[in-house]
Amino acid sequence: MTSQVIEGGAPSRGRAFLASFIKNILPAVPLLLIVGFFFLFPIGRLIYVSFMSNENTFTFDNFKTAVQEPYRTGFVNSIKIGVFSAAIAAFPGAIAAYFIETRGSSKLRRTIAVMSGVLANTGGVPLAFMFYAALGIQGYLTKVLKSLGWDLYSGTFSLGSFIGLLIVYLYFQLPLMIIVFSPAIVSLRREWSEAARNLGANQFNYWIRIGIPLLFPSFIASFLLLFASGFSAYATANALTVGNLPLTPLQIGGLLDGNVSAAQLNLGKALGVVMIVISACAVIPYLAIQRRSAKWQKG
Amino acid sequence: MAKGIKIKFHPPLAITLLILGFFVFIPMLSAFEYSIRTPLTGGYGWDHYLWAIREEDFFHYILRSMWLAGVTVLITLFVLVPTLTWLHLSNSKVRGLIDGLSLLPLVIPVVAFAVGAQISFPEFVQNTVLELPFLYFVLALPYAFRSLDIGLNSIPLKTITEAARSAGANWLRTITTIIVPVIRGSVMATIALTFALSLGEYTLTVLLHWDTFPTWVTYVAQENILGAIAISMMSLIIPFLILTIITLFVPERSTQGRK
Repeated sequence: MTSQVIEGGAPSRGRAFLASFIKNILPAVPLLLIVGFFFLFPIGRLIYVSFMSNENTFTFDNFKTAVQEPYRTGFVNSIKIGVFSAAIAAFPGAIAAYFIETRGSSKLRRTIAVMSGVLANTGGVPLAFMFYAALGIQGYLTKVLKSLGWDLYSGTFSLGSFIGLLIVYLYFQLPLMIIVFSPAIVSLRREWSEAARNLGANQFNYWIRIGIPLLFPSFIASFLLLFASGFSAYATANALTVGNLPLTPLQIGGLLDGNVSAAQLNLGKALGVVMIVISACAVIPYLAIQRRSAKWQKG
Repeated sequence: MAKGIKIKFHPPLAITLLILGFFVFIPMLSAFEYSIRTPLTGGYGWDHYLWAIREEDFFHYILRSMWLAGVTVLITLFVLVPTLTWLHLSNSKVRGLIDGLSLLPLVIPVVAFAVGAQISFPEFVQNTVLELPFLYFVLALPYAFRSLDIGLNSIPLKTITEAARSAGANWLRTITTIIVPVIRGSVMATIALTFALSLGEYTLTVLLHWDTFPTWVTYVAQENILGAIAISMMSLIIPFLILTIITLFVPERSTQGRK
Protein backbone atom coordinates (compact mmCIF):
# COMPACT_ATOMS: atom_id res chain seq x y z
CA MET A 1 0.00 0.00 0.00
CA THR A 2 2.49 2.58 1.19
CA SER A 3 4.94 1.81 -1.53
CA GLN A 4 2.18 2.18 -4.08
CA VAL A 5 1.31 5.63 -2.77
CA ILE A 6 4.92 6.68 -2.89
CA GLU A 7 5.32 5.37 -6.38
CA GLY A 8 2.12 7.03 -7.42
CA GLY A 9 3.10 10.28 -5.76
CA ALA A 10 6.51 10.71 -7.23
CA PRO A 11 5.59 11.08 -10.90
CA SER A 12 2.85 13.55 -10.16
CA ARG A 13 5.26 15.61 -8.13
CA GLY A 14 7.60 15.43 -11.09
CA ARG A 15 4.79 16.53 -13.33
CA ALA A 16 3.96 19.37 -10.97
CA PHE A 17 7.55 20.50 -11.12
CA LEU A 18 7.45 20.27 -14.88
CA ALA A 19 4.22 22.25 -15.02
CA SER A 20 5.60 24.91 -12.75
CA PHE A 21 8.79 25.03 -14.79
CA ILE A 22 6.80 25.48 -17.99
CA LYS A 23 4.71 28.16 -16.39
CA ASN A 24 7.41 30.05 -14.53
CA ILE A 25 10.63 29.73 -16.46
CA LEU A 26 10.30 28.06 -19.87
CA PRO A 27 9.28 31.16 -21.85
CA ALA A 28 12.38 32.94 -20.56
CA VAL A 29 14.71 30.15 -21.66
CA PRO A 30 15.63 31.52 -25.13
CA LEU A 31 16.60 34.87 -23.66
CA LEU A 32 18.44 33.29 -20.75
CA LEU A 33 20.31 30.96 -23.12
CA ILE A 34 21.44 33.73 -25.44
CA VAL A 35 22.40 36.10 -22.62
CA GLY A 36 24.04 33.24 -20.76
CA PHE A 37 26.12 31.97 -23.65
CA PHE A 38 26.94 35.21 -25.44
CA PHE A 39 27.32 37.45 -22.42
CA LEU A 40 27.61 35.88 -18.97
CA PHE A 41 29.86 33.08 -20.16
CA PRO A 42 32.46 35.38 -21.82
CA ILE A 43 32.45 37.75 -18.86
CA GLY A 44 32.75 34.87 -16.40
CA ARG A 45 35.58 33.39 -18.39
CA LEU A 46 37.31 36.77 -18.62
CA ILE A 47 37.24 37.09 -14.85
CA TYR A 48 38.40 33.50 -14.39
CA VAL A 49 41.28 33.76 -16.86
CA SER A 50 42.42 37.08 -15.40
CA PHE A 51 43.50 35.12 -12.30
CA MET A 52 45.51 32.60 -14.33
CA SER A 53 49.26 32.67 -14.76
CA ASN A 54 50.95 31.63 -18.01
CA GLU A 55 51.12 28.10 -16.56
CA ASN A 56 47.38 28.14 -15.78
CA THR A 57 47.86 28.33 -12.04
CA PHE A 58 46.02 30.74 -9.80
CA THR A 59 47.77 34.09 -9.37
CA PHE A 60 47.25 37.76 -8.55
CA ASP A 61 50.24 38.81 -10.65
CA ASN A 62 48.18 39.98 -13.63
CA PHE A 63 46.44 42.46 -11.38
CA LYS A 64 49.70 43.54 -9.77
CA THR A 65 51.09 44.37 -13.22
CA ALA A 66 47.79 45.98 -14.25
CA VAL A 67 48.13 48.67 -11.59
CA GLN A 68 51.77 49.43 -12.36
CA GLU A 69 53.21 51.61 -15.10
CA PRO A 70 52.45 52.04 -17.95
CA TYR A 71 49.00 50.69 -17.19
CA ARG A 72 48.54 52.91 -14.15
CA THR A 73 48.90 56.00 -16.35
CA GLY A 74 46.41 54.39 -18.75
CA PHE A 75 43.81 54.13 -16.00
CA VAL A 76 44.53 57.64 -14.70
CA ASN A 77 44.14 59.10 -18.21
CA SER A 78 40.99 57.08 -18.94
CA ILE A 79 39.37 58.10 -15.67
CA LYS A 80 40.42 61.70 -16.23
CA ILE A 81 38.98 61.82 -19.74
CA GLY A 82 35.78 60.16 -18.49
CA VAL A 83 35.36 62.67 -15.65
CA PHE A 84 36.30 65.77 -17.65
CA SER A 85 34.26 64.91 -20.73
CA ALA A 86 31.25 64.11 -18.53
CA ALA A 87 31.70 67.25 -16.43
CA ILE A 88 32.00 69.52 -19.43
CA ALA A 89 29.08 67.95 -21.30
CA ALA A 90 26.69 67.53 -18.37
CA PHE A 91 25.69 71.11 -17.63
CA PRO A 92 25.25 72.45 -21.19
CA GLY A 93 23.55 69.17 -22.14
CA ALA A 94 21.11 69.47 -19.25
CA ILE A 95 20.28 73.09 -20.15
CA ALA A 96 19.85 72.20 -23.81
CA ALA A 97 17.58 69.29 -22.86
CA TYR A 98 15.54 71.65 -20.67
CA PHE A 99 14.91 74.23 -23.39
CA ILE A 100 14.26 71.62 -26.06
CA GLU A 101 11.82 69.64 -23.93
CA THR A 102 9.95 72.60 -22.43
CA ARG A 103 9.91 75.03 -25.35
CA GLY A 104 10.31 72.87 -28.43
CA SER A 105 7.49 71.69 -30.66
CA SER A 106 6.80 67.99 -30.86
CA LYS A 107 8.41 67.77 -34.28
CA LEU A 108 11.56 69.53 -33.08
CA ARG A 109 11.81 67.25 -30.06
CA ARG A 110 11.55 64.16 -32.20
CA THR A 111 14.09 65.44 -34.71
CA ILE A 112 16.52 66.24 -31.89
CA ALA A 113 15.90 62.78 -30.42
CA VAL A 114 16.80 61.11 -33.72
CA MET A 115 19.85 63.31 -34.22
CA SER A 116 21.06 62.76 -30.67
CA GLY A 117 20.65 59.01 -31.19
CA VAL A 118 22.84 59.11 -34.27
CA LEU A 119 25.40 61.56 -32.87
CA ALA A 120 25.77 59.75 -29.54
CA ASN A 121 26.79 56.70 -31.57
CA THR A 122 29.31 58.46 -33.79
CA GLY A 123 32.88 57.60 -33.16
CA GLY A 124 35.94 56.12 -34.68
CA VAL A 125 37.28 57.14 -38.04
CA PRO A 126 34.26 59.17 -39.24
CA LEU A 127 34.37 61.32 -36.11
CA ALA A 128 38.13 61.69 -36.41
CA PHE A 129 37.73 62.93 -40.01
CA MET A 130 35.18 65.51 -38.98
CA PHE A 131 37.49 66.96 -36.39
CA TYR A 132 40.55 66.83 -38.62
CA ALA A 133 38.54 68.80 -41.16
CA ALA A 134 37.46 71.35 -38.54
CA LEU A 135 40.26 71.52 -35.99
CA GLY A 136 43.17 69.79 -37.71
CA ILE A 137 46.22 71.78 -38.78
CA GLN A 138 44.49 72.58 -42.08
CA GLY A 139 41.02 72.68 -40.53
CA TYR A 140 38.45 75.38 -41.14
CA LEU A 141 37.96 76.40 -37.58
CA THR A 142 41.71 76.41 -37.06
CA LYS A 143 42.07 78.88 -39.95
CA VAL A 144 39.24 81.05 -38.69
CA LEU A 145 40.70 81.12 -35.19
CA LYS A 146 44.13 81.92 -36.61
CA SER A 147 42.76 84.84 -38.57
CA LEU A 148 41.24 86.04 -35.31
CA GLY A 149 44.66 85.88 -33.70
CA TRP A 150 44.46 82.54 -31.87
CA ASP A 151 46.90 80.00 -33.25
CA LEU A 152 45.76 76.67 -31.86
CA TYR A 153 48.87 74.90 -33.01
CA SER A 154 51.39 77.36 -31.57
CA GLY A 155 51.73 75.19 -28.47
CA THR A 156 51.55 71.44 -28.04
CA PHE A 157 47.93 71.09 -29.11
CA SER A 158 46.96 68.23 -31.38
CA LEU A 159 43.75 66.28 -31.80
CA GLY A 160 45.53 63.21 -30.47
CA SER A 161 46.48 64.95 -27.21
CA PHE A 162 44.40 64.81 -24.05
CA ILE A 163 42.76 68.20 -24.69
CA GLY A 164 42.14 67.32 -28.34
CA LEU A 165 40.53 64.02 -27.47
CA LEU A 166 38.44 65.73 -24.82
CA ILE A 167 36.99 68.16 -27.38
CA VAL A 168 36.23 65.31 -29.77
CA TYR A 169 34.55 63.24 -27.04
CA LEU A 170 32.14 66.09 -26.35
CA TYR A 171 30.71 65.44 -29.79
CA PHE A 172 29.07 62.23 -28.59
CA GLN A 173 28.86 63.08 -24.86
CA LEU A 174 26.65 66.14 -25.35
CA PRO A 175 23.95 64.30 -27.36
CA LEU A 176 24.16 61.43 -24.88
CA MET A 177 23.46 63.88 -22.04
CA ILE A 178 20.44 65.22 -23.91
CA ILE A 179 19.15 61.65 -24.38
CA VAL A 180 19.56 60.50 -20.79
CA PHE A 181 18.52 63.73 -19.09
CA SER A 182 15.42 64.54 -21.17
CA PRO A 183 13.11 62.04 -19.43
CA ALA A 184 13.76 63.79 -16.11
CA ILE A 185 12.77 67.15 -17.62
CA VAL A 186 9.62 65.67 -19.14
CA SER A 187 8.55 64.41 -15.74
CA LEU A 188 8.74 67.89 -14.15
CA ARG A 189 5.10 68.76 -14.16
CA ARG A 190 3.79 72.18 -15.00
CA GLU A 191 1.37 71.93 -12.05
CA TRP A 192 4.28 72.01 -9.65
CA SER A 193 5.64 75.29 -10.90
CA GLU A 194 2.10 76.70 -10.95
CA ALA A 195 1.44 75.46 -7.44
CA ALA A 196 4.69 77.00 -6.26
CA ARG A 197 3.78 80.30 -7.86
CA ASN A 198 0.34 80.25 -6.26
CA LEU A 199 2.00 79.80 -2.90
CA GLY A 200 4.06 82.91 -3.58
CA ALA A 201 7.31 81.47 -4.90
CA ASN A 202 9.12 83.33 -7.64
CA GLN A 203 11.05 81.66 -10.43
CA PHE A 204 14.22 81.59 -8.31
CA ASN A 205 12.48 80.03 -5.28
CA TYR A 206 10.90 77.42 -7.51
CA TRP A 207 14.24 76.32 -8.91
CA ILE A 208 16.09 76.33 -5.59
CA ARG A 209 13.37 74.56 -3.62
CA ILE A 210 11.69 72.31 -6.20
CA GLY A 211 13.23 72.14 -9.66
CA ILE A 212 16.88 71.57 -8.81
CA PRO A 213 16.26 69.13 -5.91
CA LEU A 214 14.00 67.10 -8.20
CA LEU A 215 16.40 67.06 -11.12
CA PHE A 216 19.60 66.68 -9.13
CA PRO A 217 19.52 62.85 -8.75
CA SER A 218 18.91 62.41 -12.49
CA PHE A 219 21.67 64.90 -13.21
CA ILE A 220 24.15 62.93 -11.12
CA ALA A 221 22.94 59.68 -12.70
CA SER A 222 23.43 61.08 -16.19
CA PHE A 223 26.89 62.33 -15.23
CA LEU A 224 27.80 58.81 -14.09
CA LEU A 225 26.62 57.27 -17.35
CA LEU A 226 28.58 59.86 -19.33
CA PHE A 227 31.64 59.06 -17.28
CA ALA A 228 31.29 55.36 -18.14
CA SER A 229 30.86 56.23 -21.81
CA GLY A 230 33.95 58.44 -21.94
CA PHE A 231 35.98 56.09 -19.79
CA SER A 232 35.41 53.07 -22.04
CA ALA A 233 35.38 54.74 -25.48
CA TYR A 234 37.73 52.87 -27.80
CA ALA A 235 37.02 53.61 -31.46
CA THR A 236 37.57 57.36 -31.38
CA ALA A 237 40.69 57.21 -29.25
CA ASN A 238 42.04 54.52 -31.54
CA ALA A 239 41.45 56.68 -34.61
CA LEU A 240 42.97 59.86 -33.19
CA THR A 241 45.92 58.90 -31.04
CA VAL A 242 49.09 57.31 -32.31
CA GLY A 243 50.32 55.68 -29.17
CA ASN A 244 51.17 59.05 -27.62
CA LEU A 245 48.38 58.98 -25.06
CA PRO A 246 48.11 55.87 -22.88
CA LEU A 247 44.45 54.93 -22.36
CA THR A 248 43.29 51.61 -20.92
CA PRO A 249 40.94 50.61 -23.78
CA LEU A 250 43.76 51.16 -26.27
CA GLN A 251 46.20 49.21 -24.13
CA ILE A 252 43.76 46.31 -23.98
CA GLY A 253 43.21 46.49 -27.73
CA GLY A 254 46.97 46.43 -28.29
CA LEU A 255 47.43 43.39 -26.08
CA LEU A 256 44.49 41.65 -27.74
CA ASP A 257 45.83 42.19 -31.24
CA GLY A 258 49.30 41.09 -30.21
CA ASN A 259 50.69 44.50 -31.24
CA VAL A 260 52.07 44.86 -27.77
CA SER A 261 53.66 41.90 -26.08
CA ALA A 262 53.60 41.41 -22.37
CA ALA A 263 55.35 38.82 -20.24
CA GLN A 264 51.97 37.86 -18.82
CA LEU A 265 49.59 36.39 -21.38
CA ASN A 266 46.54 37.22 -19.33
CA LEU A 267 47.41 40.80 -18.48
CA GLY A 268 44.84 42.13 -20.97
CA LYS A 269 42.12 40.17 -19.19
CA ALA A 270 43.10 41.66 -15.84
CA LEU A 271 42.98 45.16 -17.34
CA GLY A 272 39.52 44.31 -18.67
CA VAL A 273 38.35 43.19 -15.25
CA VAL A 274 39.65 46.40 -13.62
CA MET A 275 37.79 48.37 -16.30
CA ILE A 276 34.59 46.49 -15.51
CA VAL A 277 35.00 47.28 -11.80
CA ILE A 278 35.55 51.00 -12.44
CA SER A 279 32.67 51.14 -14.91
CA ALA A 280 30.41 49.28 -12.49
CA CYS A 281 31.17 51.88 -9.79
CA ALA A 282 29.51 54.46 -12.07
CA VAL A 283 26.81 52.48 -13.87
CA ILE A 284 25.33 50.64 -10.89
CA PRO A 285 24.63 53.87 -8.95
CA TYR A 286 23.27 55.29 -12.21
CA LEU A 287 20.83 52.38 -12.52
CA ALA A 288 19.87 52.62 -8.84
CA ILE A 289 19.11 56.35 -9.10
CA GLN A 290 17.19 55.82 -12.34
CA ARG A 291 15.06 53.17 -10.71
CA ARG A 292 14.28 55.37 -7.71
CA SER A 293 13.39 58.41 -9.73
CA ALA A 294 11.36 56.30 -12.19
CA LYS A 295 8.93 55.75 -9.32
CA TRP A 296 7.89 59.35 -8.87
CA GLN A 297 8.36 60.17 -12.54
CA LYS A 298 5.69 57.64 -13.39
CA GLY A 299 3.35 58.64 -10.57
CA MET B 1 0.79 68.06 -40.15
CA ALA B 2 -0.19 71.70 -40.47
CA LYS B 3 0.42 72.21 -36.78
CA GLY B 4 4.02 71.09 -37.03
CA ILE B 5 4.91 73.79 -39.51
CA LYS B 6 4.06 76.60 -37.11
CA ILE B 7 7.32 77.46 -35.38
CA LYS B 8 7.13 79.52 -32.25
CA PHE B 9 10.15 81.64 -31.53
CA HIS B 10 11.68 81.37 -28.06
CA PRO B 11 14.96 83.21 -27.54
CA PRO B 12 16.51 80.72 -25.07
CA LEU B 13 15.56 77.79 -27.30
CA ALA B 14 16.85 79.56 -30.38
CA ILE B 15 20.19 80.33 -28.72
CA THR B 16 20.47 76.72 -27.50
CA LEU B 17 19.78 75.36 -30.97
CA LEU B 18 22.19 77.82 -32.53
CA ILE B 19 25.06 76.80 -30.25
CA LEU B 20 24.29 73.09 -30.59
CA GLY B 21 23.97 73.55 -34.34
CA PHE B 22 27.42 75.18 -34.56
CA PHE B 23 28.98 72.45 -32.50
CA VAL B 24 27.35 69.66 -34.49
CA PHE B 25 27.50 71.04 -37.99
CA ILE B 26 30.88 72.80 -38.18
CA PRO B 27 32.86 69.54 -38.00
CA MET B 28 30.29 67.78 -40.17
CA LEU B 29 30.25 70.42 -42.90
CA SER B 30 34.03 70.80 -42.81
CA ALA B 31 34.39 67.08 -43.47
CA PHE B 32 31.71 67.31 -46.14
CA GLU B 33 33.63 70.07 -47.89
CA TYR B 34 36.70 67.87 -47.95
CA SER B 35 34.69 64.99 -49.35
CA ILE B 36 33.51 66.98 -52.40
CA ARG B 37 36.91 68.45 -53.24
CA THR B 38 38.45 67.44 -56.52
CA PRO B 39 42.18 68.07 -56.18
CA LEU B 40 42.83 67.57 -59.92
CA THR B 41 40.57 70.39 -61.07
CA GLY B 42 40.67 72.38 -57.87
CA GLY B 43 36.87 72.57 -57.84
CA TYR B 44 34.10 70.57 -56.32
CA GLY B 45 32.34 67.45 -57.43
CA TRP B 46 30.95 64.10 -56.37
CA ASP B 47 34.05 62.23 -57.57
CA HIS B 48 34.86 60.59 -54.25
CA TYR B 49 31.32 59.44 -53.67
CA LEU B 50 31.23 57.95 -57.16
CA TRP B 51 34.62 56.37 -56.57
CA ALA B 52 33.37 54.82 -53.33
CA ILE B 53 30.20 53.48 -54.87
CA ARG B 54 32.15 52.00 -57.77
CA GLU B 55 34.43 50.15 -55.37
CA GLU B 56 33.45 46.51 -55.34
CA ASP B 57 33.97 46.36 -51.59
CA PHE B 58 31.55 49.19 -50.96
CA PHE B 59 28.46 47.14 -51.70
CA HIS B 60 30.00 44.02 -50.29
CA TYR B 61 30.52 45.62 -46.89
CA ILE B 62 27.44 47.78 -46.79
CA LEU B 63 25.27 44.78 -47.63
CA ARG B 64 27.07 42.71 -45.04
CA SER B 65 26.55 45.35 -42.36
CA MET B 66 22.92 45.72 -43.36
CA TRP B 67 22.12 42.04 -43.17
CA LEU B 68 23.99 41.63 -39.90
CA ALA B 69 21.97 44.53 -38.51
CA GLY B 70 18.82 42.96 -39.93
CA VAL B 71 19.54 39.64 -38.25
CA THR B 72 20.20 41.47 -34.97
CA VAL B 73 16.82 43.18 -35.23
CA LEU B 74 15.11 39.83 -35.92
CA ILE B 75 16.79 38.16 -32.95
CA THR B 76 15.85 41.11 -30.74
CA LEU B 77 12.19 41.04 -31.73
CA PHE B 78 11.80 37.25 -31.80
CA VAL B 79 13.34 36.84 -28.38
CA LEU B 80 12.23 39.95 -26.55
CA VAL B 81 8.62 40.47 -27.63
CA PRO B 82 7.33 37.02 -26.54
CA THR B 83 9.52 36.95 -23.43
CA LEU B 84 8.43 40.40 -22.30
CA THR B 85 4.78 39.71 -23.08
CA TRP B 86 4.98 36.61 -20.94
CA LEU B 87 6.81 38.47 -18.15
CA HIS B 88 4.11 41.11 -18.06
CA LEU B 89 1.30 38.56 -17.96
CA SER B 90 2.66 36.00 -15.56
CA ASN B 91 4.15 37.83 -12.56
CA SER B 92 6.91 35.26 -12.73
CA LYS B 93 9.57 35.16 -10.07
CA VAL B 94 12.29 35.46 -12.70
CA ARG B 95 11.10 38.96 -13.59
CA GLY B 96 13.59 40.66 -11.26
CA LEU B 97 16.41 38.46 -12.49
CA ILE B 98 15.69 39.20 -16.14
CA ASP B 99 15.32 42.94 -15.47
CA GLY B 100 18.74 42.95 -13.88
CA LEU B 101 20.32 40.83 -16.60
CA SER B 102 18.97 43.08 -19.32
CA LEU B 103 20.77 46.07 -17.80
CA LEU B 104 24.04 44.29 -17.13
CA PRO B 105 25.58 44.99 -20.57
CA LEU B 106 25.60 48.70 -19.66
CA VAL B 107 28.07 47.92 -16.88
CA ILE B 108 30.59 46.10 -19.07
CA PRO B 109 32.88 48.22 -21.29
CA VAL B 110 32.75 46.90 -24.85
CA VAL B 111 36.53 46.42 -24.92
CA ALA B 112 36.35 44.09 -21.92
CA PHE B 113 33.41 42.25 -23.50
CA ALA B 114 35.45 41.80 -26.68
CA VAL B 115 38.34 40.26 -24.73
CA GLY B 116 35.93 37.88 -23.03
CA ALA B 117 34.29 36.94 -26.33
CA GLN B 118 37.65 36.27 -27.94
CA ILE B 119 38.73 33.74 -25.32
CA SER B 120 35.40 32.01 -24.72
CA PHE B 121 33.60 30.77 -27.76
CA PRO B 122 34.21 27.37 -29.34
CA GLU B 123 35.65 27.48 -32.83
CA PHE B 124 32.45 26.81 -34.71
CA VAL B 125 31.08 30.02 -33.20
CA GLN B 126 34.22 32.09 -33.75
CA ASN B 127 34.42 30.98 -37.37
CA THR B 128 31.04 32.33 -38.37
CA VAL B 129 30.18 35.95 -38.78
CA LEU B 130 26.79 35.03 -37.34
CA GLU B 131 28.30 35.41 -33.88
CA LEU B 132 28.16 39.18 -34.40
CA PRO B 133 24.34 39.58 -34.43
CA PHE B 134 24.13 37.77 -31.11
CA LEU B 135 26.83 39.97 -29.62
CA TYR B 136 25.16 43.09 -31.05
CA PHE B 137 21.93 41.82 -29.52
CA VAL B 138 23.63 41.82 -26.12
CA LEU B 139 24.96 45.36 -26.65
CA ALA B 140 21.51 46.64 -27.64
CA LEU B 141 19.68 44.64 -24.96
CA PRO B 142 19.47 47.35 -22.25
CA TYR B 143 17.89 49.81 -24.68
CA ALA B 144 15.70 47.34 -26.58
CA PHE B 145 14.40 45.75 -23.39
CA ARG B 146 13.53 49.08 -21.82
CA SER B 147 11.86 50.42 -24.91
CA LEU B 148 9.61 47.35 -25.32
CA ASP B 149 8.97 47.23 -21.58
CA ILE B 150 7.67 50.81 -21.59
CA GLY B 151 5.47 49.98 -24.58
CA LEU B 152 3.92 46.94 -22.90
CA ASN B 153 3.46 48.88 -19.66
CA SER B 154 1.41 51.53 -21.37
CA ILE B 155 -1.28 49.20 -22.76
CA PRO B 156 -3.94 47.07 -21.06
CA LEU B 157 -2.05 43.94 -22.07
CA LYS B 158 -4.08 41.47 -20.04
CA THR B 159 -7.43 42.59 -21.45
CA ILE B 160 -6.12 42.62 -25.00
CA THR B 161 -4.60 39.16 -24.84
CA GLU B 162 -7.62 37.66 -23.09
CA ALA B 163 -9.87 39.10 -25.77
CA ALA B 164 -7.65 37.77 -28.55
CA ARG B 165 -7.35 34.37 -26.90
CA SER B 166 -11.06 34.00 -26.29
CA ALA B 167 -11.72 34.97 -29.89
CA GLY B 168 -9.68 31.91 -30.83
CA ALA B 169 -6.27 33.34 -31.68
CA ASN B 170 -3.29 31.23 -30.68
CA TRP B 171 -0.27 32.81 -29.01
CA LEU B 172 1.66 33.34 -32.23
CA ARG B 173 -1.30 35.12 -33.77
CA THR B 174 -1.97 37.12 -30.65
CA ILE B 175 1.59 38.41 -30.55
CA THR B 176 2.06 39.09 -34.25
CA THR B 177 -1.34 40.51 -35.14
CA ILE B 178 -2.47 42.10 -31.88
CA ILE B 179 0.34 42.96 -29.50
CA VAL B 180 3.00 44.08 -31.97
CA PRO B 181 0.67 46.44 -33.85
CA VAL B 182 -0.61 47.92 -30.59
CA ILE B 183 2.88 48.71 -29.33
CA ARG B 184 4.25 49.57 -32.80
CA GLY B 185 5.72 52.81 -31.49
CA SER B 186 8.10 51.07 -29.15
CA VAL B 187 8.65 48.23 -31.63
CA MET B 188 9.76 50.79 -34.20
CA ALA B 189 11.96 52.56 -31.66
CA THR B 190 13.51 49.21 -30.77
CA ILE B 191 14.13 48.39 -34.44
CA ALA B 192 15.64 51.82 -35.04
CA LEU B 193 18.10 51.75 -32.17
CA THR B 194 19.08 48.11 -32.61
CA PHE B 195 19.62 48.64 -36.31
CA ALA B 196 21.62 51.82 -35.83
CA LEU B 197 23.76 50.32 -33.09
CA SER B 198 24.55 47.21 -35.15
CA LEU B 199 25.25 49.21 -38.30
CA GLY B 200 27.78 51.43 -36.57
CA GLU B 201 29.39 48.97 -34.16
CA TYR B 202 33.15 49.20 -34.45
CA THR B 203 34.98 48.18 -31.27
CA LEU B 204 33.72 44.63 -30.85
CA THR B 205 33.82 43.94 -34.58
CA VAL B 206 37.39 45.07 -35.09
CA LEU B 207 38.72 43.41 -31.94
CA LEU B 208 37.18 40.10 -33.03
CA HIS B 209 38.81 40.61 -36.44
CA TRP B 210 35.67 40.86 -38.52
CA ASP B 211 35.26 43.28 -41.41
CA THR B 212 32.09 45.31 -41.71
CA PHE B 213 31.29 48.68 -43.19
CA PRO B 214 32.62 50.70 -40.22
CA THR B 215 35.91 48.80 -40.08
CA TRP B 216 36.34 48.91 -43.86
CA VAL B 217 36.50 52.72 -43.73
CA THR B 218 39.72 52.39 -41.73
CA TYR B 219 41.38 50.45 -44.55
CA VAL B 220 40.18 52.83 -47.23
CA ALA B 221 41.63 55.74 -45.24
CA GLN B 222 45.10 54.32 -45.86
CA GLU B 223 44.82 54.39 -49.66
CA ASN B 224 42.35 57.15 -50.51
CA ILE B 225 41.78 59.62 -47.72
CA LEU B 226 39.20 61.78 -49.51
CA GLY B 227 37.31 58.66 -50.58
CA ALA B 228 37.33 57.51 -46.97
CA ILE B 229 35.92 60.87 -45.88
CA ALA B 230 33.16 60.49 -48.46
CA ILE B 231 32.38 57.02 -47.11
CA SER B 232 32.40 58.37 -43.55
CA MET B 233 29.87 61.02 -44.51
CA MET B 234 27.67 58.33 -45.99
CA SER B 235 28.05 56.22 -42.86
CA LEU B 236 26.62 59.16 -40.89
CA ILE B 237 23.86 60.00 -43.32
CA ILE B 238 22.55 56.47 -43.92
CA PRO B 239 21.64 55.65 -40.28
CA PHE B 240 20.32 59.18 -39.88
CA LEU B 241 17.95 58.71 -42.82
CA ILE B 242 16.86 55.26 -41.69
CA LEU B 243 16.18 56.49 -38.17
CA THR B 244 14.37 59.58 -39.37
CA ILE B 245 12.14 57.53 -41.63
CA ILE B 246 11.37 55.04 -38.88
CA THR B 247 10.68 57.57 -36.13
CA LEU B 248 8.92 60.29 -38.07
CA PHE B 249 6.60 57.99 -39.97
CA VAL B 250 5.19 56.32 -36.92
CA PRO B 251 2.19 58.27 -35.60
CA GLU B 252 3.12 59.98 -32.37
CA ARG B 253 0.15 58.64 -30.44
CA SER B 254 1.80 55.27 -30.36
CA THR B 255 5.27 56.40 -29.38
CA GLN B 256 5.01 55.80 -25.70
CA GLY B 257 6.67 57.51 -22.84
CA ARG B 258 4.34 60.50 -22.59
CA LYS B 259 1.10 59.58 -21.06
